[in-house]
Amino acid sequence: MNRIRESMEGIRASSELKARTLQYLERRRGRRGFSLLRPAFALAALCLLLLAGTGGYAWYSAPVSYISMDVNPSIELGINRFGRVTTAEAYNRDGEDVLRRLSLKNKPYAQAVRNLLEDETFGSYLTDSAALVFTIISDKPDDMRRELESAVTGQSCQVLTYVSDSYCMQEAHSHHMSFGKYRAYQELAEYDRSVTVEQCHTMSMGEIQERIDGCRSEHEQHHTNTTDTGQNIEQESPGQEDTEQGSTGQGNTGHGHHGGHHNR
Amino acid sequence: MNRAVEQYADMVQRICLVHLRNREDTEDVFQNVFLKYMLYRGDFENSEHEKAWLIRVTINACTDWLRSLSRRRCLPLDAALKECGASDDSSREVLEAVLQLPDKYRRVIYLFYYEGYSAIEIAGILGRKENTVYTWLSRAKAILREKLGGEWA
Repeated sequence: MNRIRESMEGIRASSELKARTLQYLERRRGRRGFSLLRPAFALAALCLLLLAGTGGYAWYSAPVSYISMDVNPSIELGINRFGRVTTAEAYNRDGEDVLRRLSLKNKPYAQAVRNLLEDETFGSYLTDSAALVFTIISDKPDDMRRELESAVTGQSCQVLTYVSDSYCMQEAHSHHMSFGKYRAYQELAEYDRSVTVEQCHTMSMGEIQERIDGCRSEHEQHHTNTTDTGQNIEQESPGQEDTEQGSTGQGNTGHGHHGGHHNR
Repeated sequence: MNRAVEQYADMVQRICLVHLRNREDTEDVFQNVFLKYMLYRGDFENSEHEKAWLIRVTINACTDWLRSLSRRRCLPLDAALKECGASDDSSREVLEAVLQLPDKYRRVIYLFYYEGYSAIEIAGILGRKENTVYTWLSRAKAILREKLGGEWA
């Protein structure tokens, strides 16, 4: 054995050092597992938070009810489960002008409606001859109708309230029309089959309502005449069909002033 | 891990003490070497490959340790020799002479005389040119010869 090797033979790792090293490695192995997992945990936690945040916000902001307000401005408000406005969409230029000035989001819907009525542009359409038409899609339409009635107290124009449904809303949106105005178009079309959606686009709610009222008067007159002559036209009555399809805010007929309330 | 610690602990300790001459530092580096071994994800071709890998890692760990000025706390040589457990005066004299060599010479002397590696193998382990290893060996031998006389190896 060379002398250098011999001189170093005495250098040995003590059993204590080996034991301490094995303990140290064991600790590090555990910590290593954790340190490798920690970013994964942090990432997962972050994703959960984001999902919870995104999901929570989506849950909060998802509309569960809708109000279509139509005079000439046509505006739809989406109402979340807490009764607050989370979406506000305009369906004509007048509506866009109004919404450009007003911030309605997160306001209670009755407050949002009051703000709209107080708006200078919106208010300019609320003349004596105008018709302010609320159309509601809600699980609790009666509660919403009562809230809206209290919000519009004092308006000099005709105020009508109707109830619609999401199917009608989808159809309306496919014609780029508010579901309130589209419901009015459907009612008018029941009396006058020549009327088109395009024509209604250019008409104010007051004009549509006026034509509906005119048609209804004619129809009632015709109904009276035919009843007098012994003919039965109940199958042709648009009012009867409407009763079956939906209900108004007052729960009787689906269309026309029977379903609304007048506030002059 | 138990097998590796049991099999290579003395070798790692030897390299650490020869390089660091400080028991506390030795323990830190010793543990770090085996930590690196535990974290190593490569495959060793055979036990020689594994041994050479550990030697290289230990030397590098010692070098890194020594580079840190704040950690350069060398023990007095007497204390280091005591730690090294030199059994007799002759061994103590030789070890003292080796430990007094510059780092690079100490390294090649250890690998050549203790581990029995050839200059080519040492060059491979240290990542140096073969000629450089020859030069270091030659100079280290000359120093030892001067200190210990002709019969030092």
